[in-house]
Amino acid sequence: MAYEPQYYPGKTKIAQNRRNHMNPNVELEKLREIPDDDIVKIMGQRQPGEDYKTVHPPLEEMDLPEDYVRDLVEPISGAKEGHRIRYIQFADSMYNAPAQPYDRARTYMWRFRGVDTGTLSGRQVIEMRESNLEEIAKNFCIDTAFYDPAVCGIRGATVHGHSLRLDENGLMFDALQRYVYDEKTGHVLYVKDQVGKPLDEPVDVGEPLSPEKLVEITTIYRKDNIPMREDTELIKVVKRIHRARTLGGYMPTEDTFKDL
Amino acid sequence: MIEIEVFPHRYLKAKTTERFLNEIYSLSTVDRVIIHGQPLPKTVYYGPARGTPVNHSERKIIDVHGVPVELTVMAGRFWITLKDDSEMDKIEEVCKSLFHYGYNIKVGKFTRDKSTVTDYIKYGEMLVNMMDRTLIGLTDPRSKYESSVKIIPKDSKKEHAESFSGHI
Repeated sequence: MAYEPQYYPGKTKIAQNRRNHMNPNVELEKLREIPDDDIVKIMGQRQPGEDYKTVHPPLEEMDLPEDYVRDLVEPISGAKEGHRIRYIQFADSMYNAPAQPYDRARTYMWRFRGVDTGTLSGRQVIEMRESNLEEIAKNFCIDTAFYDPAVCGIRGATVHGHSLRLDENGLMFDALQRYVYDEKTGHVLYVKDQVGKPLDEPVDVGEPLSPEKLVEITTIYRKDNIPMREDTELIKVVKRIHRARTLGGYMPTEDTFKDL
Repeated sequence: MIEIEVFPHRYLKAKTTERFLNEIYSLSTVDRVIIHGQPLPKTVYYGPARGTPVNHSERKIIDVHGVPVELTVMAGRFWITLKDDSEMDKIEEVCKSLFHYGYNIKVGKFTRDKSTVTDYIKYGEMLVNMMDRTLIGLTDPRSKYESSVKIIPKDSKKEHAESFSGHI
């Protein structure tokens, strides 16, 4: 029988949102259209229109020793071309951000190939071949309901802010003020790239989502939304893992695993 | 002497902080206010952009009863020392008018009022015994007096002290 991935346990809306993120067959709602060049500017690693820098010649031109794993695994397009590896990093506020670091890690691993991701408490970095990274950053990470201009931040360094109260405009605190709220248009503008270097022109990333919409699409269990304890199925799975790891670690006998 | 903590549910813009401080300092029972919040750096202190000016729009000089005060933090809570609780309703009103997104007010003890052993070692016994008692517990131990404490003169010739306390 073919294995069907279940992605994530739980019967609540939050669990369903997590499954939607991870399931590559689910297409997330497209909410904005940010031009490619603007994404490149925010990432700050290449001038818009500039050629991709390479770290090795195209794989086809290279004389590589024979390796059957290389025959099995199809390289992604950036690897074929020899593009260098770059990163983009997101910080997600605990105030109902659409994604959060663990969800991001699992989602990237389910959906994309050739991705190296690092999970920390308040931020999540993706490393990938530059051309593929830009494509993912635009088409998935920023243009869809995976991102919100107010409670998600594109921050390469100095990410502090995910666990703080929002500011008066509803934006996540950023000591470097990479993005500002335009009170006339109601849009969020990036005035610096992800590490804090000023941009020549501000980049408009659109209007923040309404709090009601964020409550609908968030993947964070919260006491003032849906608390984790309400999700009995999830609690059951978490307890099972805990039991298997702790008790099973101390005493790996048949009895310990009997009721799991 | 009682202490209260005003905790708005959002981090405040410099403009709101200015209005709040001006209204609070108009009350006769307010002795001192400690502003606690997130520090706003002048320059980027980490990463590839290290040394680039930040130019944060909320790090600016505000005017509190005619005294220019440089805000170095984004205010998140205020610890206010009051003479008594007779004007609590007025503080509540100020909060209600400014913080429409919600706030908490708590009565408690938030700062120290006695000199510590460190104070005696750092400043010497004579200086500690001579110093103004209202300045104890006003700032972080490592902050400098000139940049973190402002004295706002009061009509009744008494003075109000104000300090900044940053927290990462």
